Amino acid sequence: MNSAGIIAVFLAALIIPGIILRTKSIASGRKGPGMFQPYKDISVLLKKGSVFSTTSGSIFQIAPAINLATVLCAALFIPFGKYGALISFEGDFIFFSYLIALGRFFSIIAALDTGSSFEGMGANREAFFSMLLEPAFFILMASFAMATGFTSFTDIFSNFYLSENNFMLIFGLLGIFVFLQTAMVETCRLPVDDPKTHLELTMIHEVMILDNSGFDKALIHLGTYIKLALYGLLIFNLTIPPAWTFPVQLASFVVIQVLLALAVGLIESFRARNKMNKNPKYILTISGVAWIAFIVILLLGERFIN
Amino acid sequence: MINYLIVAFALTLVYFASTERIITYIRLIGLQGLLLCGIALFELSDINLGNLLFIISETLLFKAFMMPFLLSKIVDASGVTKVHRLAMPAFYTLLFSIASLLISVVLAASMMNNYVSTIYMTIALFALFTGLILIVTHRLIVSHLIGFMIIENAVFFFSLAMGSKMPMLINVGILLDIFVGVLILGFFGLRLKAHTNELTRLKD
Repeated sequence: MNSAGIIAVFLAALIIPGIILRTKSIASGRKGPGMFQPYKDISVLLKKGSVFSTTSGSIFQIAPAINLATVLCAALFIPFGKYGALISFEGDFIFFSYLIALGRFFSIIAALDTGSSFEGMGANREAFFSMLLEPAFFILMASFAMATGFTSFTDIFSNFYLSENNFMLIFGLLGIFVFLQTAMVETCRLPVDDPKTHLELTMIHEVMILDNSGFDKALIHLGTYIKLALYGLLIFNLTIPPAWTFPVQLASFVVIQVLLALAVGLIESFRARNKMNKNPKYILTISGVAWIAFIVILLLGERFIN
Repeated sequence: MINYLIVAFALTLVYFASTERIITYIRLIGLQGLLLCGIALFELSDINLGNLLFIISETLLFKAFMMPFLLSKIVDASGVTKVHRLAMPAFYTLLFSIASLLISVVLAASMMNNYVSTIYMTIALFALFTGLILIVTHRLIVSHLIGFMIIENAVFFFSLAMGSKMPMLINVGILLDIFVGVLILGFFGLRLKAHTNELTRLKD
């Protein structure tokens, strides 16, 4: 059952994009496309070949595959409730984070490889925002490690609810906020980025993939969907005690993923995108909240001050 | 329950550093008043009923309702909606705020003893630094006033940090509330303009 995590991620990745799309359609009063339209688009893209600019090199050609591969590998480290992850070792959350960062690094250098000034601009923004976001994830995971005394995802989440301290609930709420916001930034969602935007000057992630087409573009979209489901699974692990029975956990997982997709859809329907110069402040606020989680464990958990 | 309220208070301080709209500042000041009222209610449940009622009603009346109301009236009258364009960008203010949170923890830990509550001391120092940052980095008098009110909330936390040994300090903190109320009324009476730093009525 250790493969439950990765199966759950794939299943969630199947439904999340469709629910986001349907939510946005209903919220804006449109009939809109069906639930599985994103995957119909991907199947069309997969059947096409890729077109490469003569100015781009081999990095541009391999980057989409590496990006998807890193996300898939990262999924192997996330447990599903009481069922541990397929791969688990001390400090695996650092490896997880750097796997995601490796995929992003290849996306950035692939964008630079095209020689387009617009894509370079997008790469610059992506690198800057990632630099601001990564501390939030590390601080939060370090706080979890301090709270539970373990440093792997499987051990952290299986021991998270064993503590009877009331500050663990505060901790959980702050953690859910940070994971949710991290998911929104990592998967290029509103209010930081807009996956539907088509003005190069205001784009971040989408401007980096302007030159990608066909099969490569399908891989990039798949990677983004799986990454969103991955963060949904992290939120699930943080929310649901591992002691619950498997059917209840499965139902909770579906509910959490649907709620995540609904939240993303509603935010994208009713909220405007941030001005570009407000994004650093927005992302740094996530780190600020993560720091508060860290202070909570220092003070209330009496790890540092007795 | 107190822990939840303290964490919510810390979150409002982070939000103070990241926002740039005066109306949000005022709402946050009101929210901080409500949180302080809740913290006082749970923390000071041992003191005599009359004193507790006085503290609760004062916190609720002055901090949560009267001050935000007066501030919103000042803002309506002056037409100021956002911080001055020359104020330090919120990104840097936020960086300072996060640094001040860490400094607060270290300072509170270094002065740890049996008479001082470390948690209250940390949040008091964090509020003090946030208020100071707001005052130093902003240009409008309304921002300065709000920074002063955050410092005043910090004083309330300082008094709670030592309240178990010196209950009189809490009442001294409340006197400061009344002083701030009079100060705001003074600004209200002055009919504050949007740009007080521009001389518009000079004659030859």
